[in-house]
Amino acid sequence: MTKKIGRREFFKRTAKIGVSAVIGGSVLSQFSCSKAVKCDIAVVSGGDYRNNTIKAVELLGGIEKFVHKGDKVAILPNTQSRHPGTYTNPDVVRAVIRMCRKAGAAEVNCLSWLTPKHWSDSGLDKAVIDEGANLKLIDRDDESLYTTVPVPRGKALKEAQIMSEFFNNDFFINMPITKDHAGNKFTGTMKNLMGLNYRVNNRTFHKEGWRTEQSAIEHLDQCIADLNTVIKPTLCVVDATEFITTNGPFGPGKLIKPQKVVAGVDRVAVDAYCSTLWGLEPGDIIMINKAYEHGLGEIDLQNVAIQEVKI
Amino acid sequence: MTRQNILSVLLLLFGIIFFLHASDSSVPFRHDLSEYLPKLGEMQGWERDGSPQEYREDELYEYINGGAEIYHEYGFMQVFVQDFKSKSGKAVSLEIFEMEDAESAYGIYTFKTSAEDQRLVLGSDAQLADYYLNFWKGNLLVTITGFDEDQETIKALQELAKAVDAKIKAQGGRPRLASVLPERGLRTTSIKYFQGNLGLYNSYPFFTQDVFHLKEGIKGDYEGGYSVYIIESKEGEGGISAYDEVKKSFEESPRYRKFNLLEMNLFRVQDRKGKQIFVSSFKNCALIVMGAVHPIQAKEVFSDMQENIGK
Repeated sequence: MTKKIGRREFFKRTAKIGVSAVIGGSVLSQFSCSKAVKCDIAVVSGGDYRNNTIKAVELLGGIEKFVHKGDKVAILPNTQSRHPGTYTNPDVVRAVIRMCRKAGAAEVNCLSWLTPKHWSDSGLDKAVIDEGANLKLIDRDDESLYTTVPVPRGKALKEAQIMSEFFNNDFFINMPITKDHAGNKFTGTMKNLMGLNYRVNNRTFHKEGWRTEQSAIEHLDQCIADLNTVIKPTLCVVDATEFITTNGPFGPGKLIKPQKVVAGVDRVAVDAYCSTLWGLEPGDIIMINKAYEHGLGEIDLQNVAIQEVKI
Repeated sequence: MTRQNILSVLLLLFGIIFFLHASDSSVPFRHDLSEYLPKLGEMQGWERDGSPQEYREDELYEYINGGAEIYHEYGFMQVFVQDFKSKSGKAVSLEIFEMEDAESAYGIYTFKTSAEDQRLVLGSDAQLADYYLNFWKGNLLVTITGFDEDQETIKALQELAKAVDAKIKAQGGRPRLASVLPERGLRTTSIKYFQGNLGLYNSYPFFTQDVFHLKEGIKGDYEGGYSVYIIESKEGEGGISAYDEVKKSFEESPRYRKFNLLEMNLFRVQDRKGKQIFVSSFKNCALIVMGAVHPIQAKEVFSDMQENIGK
């Protein structure tokens, strides 16, 4: 049995980790960007992915805006497959952990229910451990390690089951790789949250009769948007350095190398921006639309201050 | 009853159960995919790395977390995975997917290949991309992935593919619909064959709903800068009423604008990016020409399609 918590307790816990989406409202305004230039999304390109990551966070105002001395920070890189361009680049992960530790974080906890093999195949286990973070692999089949949380604004998803370990942290940095996805056409910050959710619960995102049921594609996207109403990352750092634009999320697929790291707080805007990196139209991505309808962020990039830097 | 009689009855019962199971047509026949592996020493300078992995039916979710649906849509049965390593430290991964039939294997092959890939003479069709290779033969799809683009790796992909191809005796042809695409100007590496809405949606997100009542479909890109889709409706769901539903869906969807009925059986819309889409129908097929073409040229293409379908 999973632990089940009421709304009041959930608010209390999520407030601790800076997850306040149930209450609603954008957290975009909570963090001012660099002093001189307004910056909702920072995009840094160049061949040194660690430097790109550091610079992108600097453009948002620096890691100290997000992480404070003594904080426990949860990070969620994507290591779904070992194929090139399908997992968060280890250099991006290294840079984030290093910044958090430099800001005085007491702990940096890399959370996942994937297997040790997933982490070793991508080389991400070494990156996490080398940089002094904890790799906390949660048993994906042990339901007792997940906490059932209500999704009051959910249109398709009424309950999520988030790994309990997540709630022992003060801040959450979401670290996906952006790439193609055969179900949603796109994956980025919002879909990555399925990596915190109990996988049996994730299965309900995919309708049982999806082969014949006409609304199955929308159902998956709606569930992801709903899940995002109860988990709000403090910061999103997206690996857009080298990623697949076909055969996602597993690959192998056509690899492009924009060499970009994208950082921001507004995940809808970040995903909308990332989708344009390989010619997609944000309005065509159902998940992004559904999240926008939930009021989780801005879909129209005309309304987003994007600062692009090449180093 | 003597002990001998009891034993005879038990043996008889066991035999009946075995016979019933063996003759149950609902249990699909599966190949022993390990038979297609190269023998030890057959790949000079390369050896097997670790034990093989095998996944059947829904176990595919264990292997391809979050991306198994598209394989199931094409009739996935099982996959066999074996890694190889070279003396110089290179690695490649061999995946042999067994699908329901040759048409399914062809379909998932077209899904996983790209127009830019290099054609190879292997299996029934083969294409080499930057760091991976796909070929299909009979009801099998073979994907071989390298983890870099070095010459040694690319050479190994091709040698391994040849070794596996030589062991596969299964035969099977392309679906009938593959011959219906007009030949003039067709880029054959661009062909996509669909057996469900997810595959079609990944090629172009016409609608999230199954507006076309898709039974099967095919798409090809042409030298003239346009694409052609032929989408066959399920039996009894084609014809004028189906065309009317398709027409209405295009007319009412916010994704499309500038609806223009050119003839009784031909209309034109534009998508959000201004791409022209001409739609017509013939028998139980929706016919689509998409791209920068003059209406007269589009009508010529429709005419070619109708001629091929009518053959």
